[in-house]
Amino acid sequence: MKFDWPYFWESLLSPSPQFLNGLALTVIISVVAMALALLLGLVIALMGRSRFLPFQLFASLYIWVIRGTPLLVQLVIIYTGFAAANIFRFEDTDVLGSLIKGAVQAAIIGLMLNESAYISEIVRSGLESVDRGQNEAALSLGMTPMHSMRKIIVPQAIRIMVPPLGNSFNGLMKSTSILSIIGVSEMFQVGSTMSAATFKVFEIYIVVALYYLLLTTVWTFIQTAIENTLNVRAGLPRAEPVFKRLFGIRSRKQATPAPALALQPADAA
Amino acid sequence: MTTQHAASTSASTPPSDPHDNIVQAVDVCKSFGDKRILSDVNLTVARGEVVVMVGPSGAGKTTMLRTINRLESIDSGEIRVNGELIGQRVNKHGKVVERSARDLARQRADIGFVFQHFNLFPHMSVLENISLAAVEVRHQPKSKVNEYARELLARVGLSDKADARTRSLSGGQQQRVAIARALAMRPALMLFDEPTSALDPEMVGEVLTVMKDLAEAGMTMIVVSHEMGFTREVADRVVVMDAGTIIESGAPDQVFSNPRHDRTRQFLSKVL
Ligand SMILES: Nc1ncnc2c1ncn2[C@@H]1O[C@H](COP(=O)(O)OP(=O)(O)O)[C@@H](O)[C@H]1O
Ligand SMILES: [Mg+2]
Repeated sequence: MKFDWPYFWESLLSPSPQFLNGLALTVIISVVAMALALLLGLVIALMGRSRFLPFQLFASLYIWVIRGTPLLVQLVIIYTGFAAANIFRFEDTDVLGSLIKGAVQAAIIGLMLNESAYISEIVRSGLESVDRGQNEAALSLGMTPMHSMRKIIVPQAIRIMVPPLGNSFNGLMKSTSILSIIGVSEMFQVGSTMSAATFKVFEIYIVVALYYLLLTTVWTFIQTAIENTLNVRAGLPRAEPVFKRLFGIRSRKQATPAPALALQPADAA
Repeated sequence: MTTQHAASTSASTPPSDPHDNIVQAVDVCKSFGDKRILSDVNLTVARGEVVVMVGPSGAGKTTMLRTINRLESIDSGEIRVNGELIGQRVNKHGKVVERSARDLARQRADIGFVFQHFNLFPHMSVLENISLAAVEVRHQPKSKVNEYARELLARVGLSDKADARTRSLSGGQQQRVAIARALAMRPALMLFDEPTSALDPEMVGEVLTVMKDLAEAGMTMIVVSHEMGFTREVADRVVVMDAGTIIESGAPDQVFSNPRHDRTRQFLSKVL
């Protein structure tokens, strides 16, 4: 086997404009899809907790269908299937002066729908992890349930939700690689095109892999910083250091710092 | 708005109820599933009165207390606080319906509740715990609220803990903060659900002292407690609950030394 080192280094250290565009598209799609998925996930979670039965049923059905089918199939149905059946066609549209391709819109919608089902479960269990007495104390002080949710429940639940949400985002960034199937020119797609043109298949995919690794690593740093900020604000010990979570050395003690909040009365003893 | 006035003047204005009863529970029934928890409970508490509720575990004391600020709904009967049906209202067709969440919140703002397990907000400092509701619910200016919160902290003997994290406090200190938090709303009535039963024995006294001061200052209180010394000293009336009903009610001396009911006697022999 011959590994073309000069080509490898050049692709890695001074990537082509197309490749950088692909990288940018990967990041943009991930961030936008995640932001929308957070909102939708919150709505689905609140529907699931609602006392209104149709909402509950809708939330359960939604989560069941989305989590029970592959993202790839969902994407193809949304983009290609809907168009073929003349239900809906994603057209290139002008948003704030830049042209957004139909495939990119479909990608964002697809990832948002898919991710929101998982996020709603994270949100639901986060909200449930806050001791019931917290809500009762807020209500007894004259707060409405909505007010208690905003001031008492959510601020505590967020600390518990951030680690799984962060991991979810990490997964989302990696799963953008399958968007090539509907023709989105994100990083993986650009890599494939380059490898087809140059036959430097191994070199190029190693570079692609390293860039994904860069993205997820940078995110791990950001996530750790967010967790630390929240922990410090809650007067709790810092989250585990970045290198530990990157290399998977998880200590048992630190793996579950979150429930400490819910066990507040026990601290007294 | 009206709530603010009600809060600041509730101690001095004559209540709409001619008998001056702040709590009036009539024939209250409540089941969880097919298990009857409260059967036809009648309880009247006058303004300024201190009522201590005793009874064996599972008698329904906590449930009864929680119905008074509607943390627990009732199946039948009615409960009035300050003359108003709590959590319910009579609509124009004369039917009893649920109050809106906002309206219920307004009613609850005048009723302090102290929980067995404190339920302090761990994501806030001690001072924030106490100030939160007055700022958020009553929309009072923060500086004024904080001033009053510090005053309350001094009253419960924790002046130096304003900026502390709640989890750094002992159980007794947490419960005193919880009492101050409830008082910050200037409630017309305070409900206590076994406020000392989750505490180490050496911390019980400091909490009872705070409650005693509160009673002496004229606060209306309903206290579920098995602290018999406290009860003898502070209670105007002892109410004995058993199996979801009130079996006996009277002055502490009378109930303790000359109980009418066998079940009372049995129960007292265990706690006295
Ligand atoms: N949320 C609930 N669901 C079902 N049963 C309950 C609930 N809360 C209390 N109970 C039951 O109601 C009975 C009375 O409880 P409680 O009011 O807590 O009694 P006490 O405070 O006198 O010990 C107990 O048997 C308890 O198991
Ligand atoms: Mg109880």
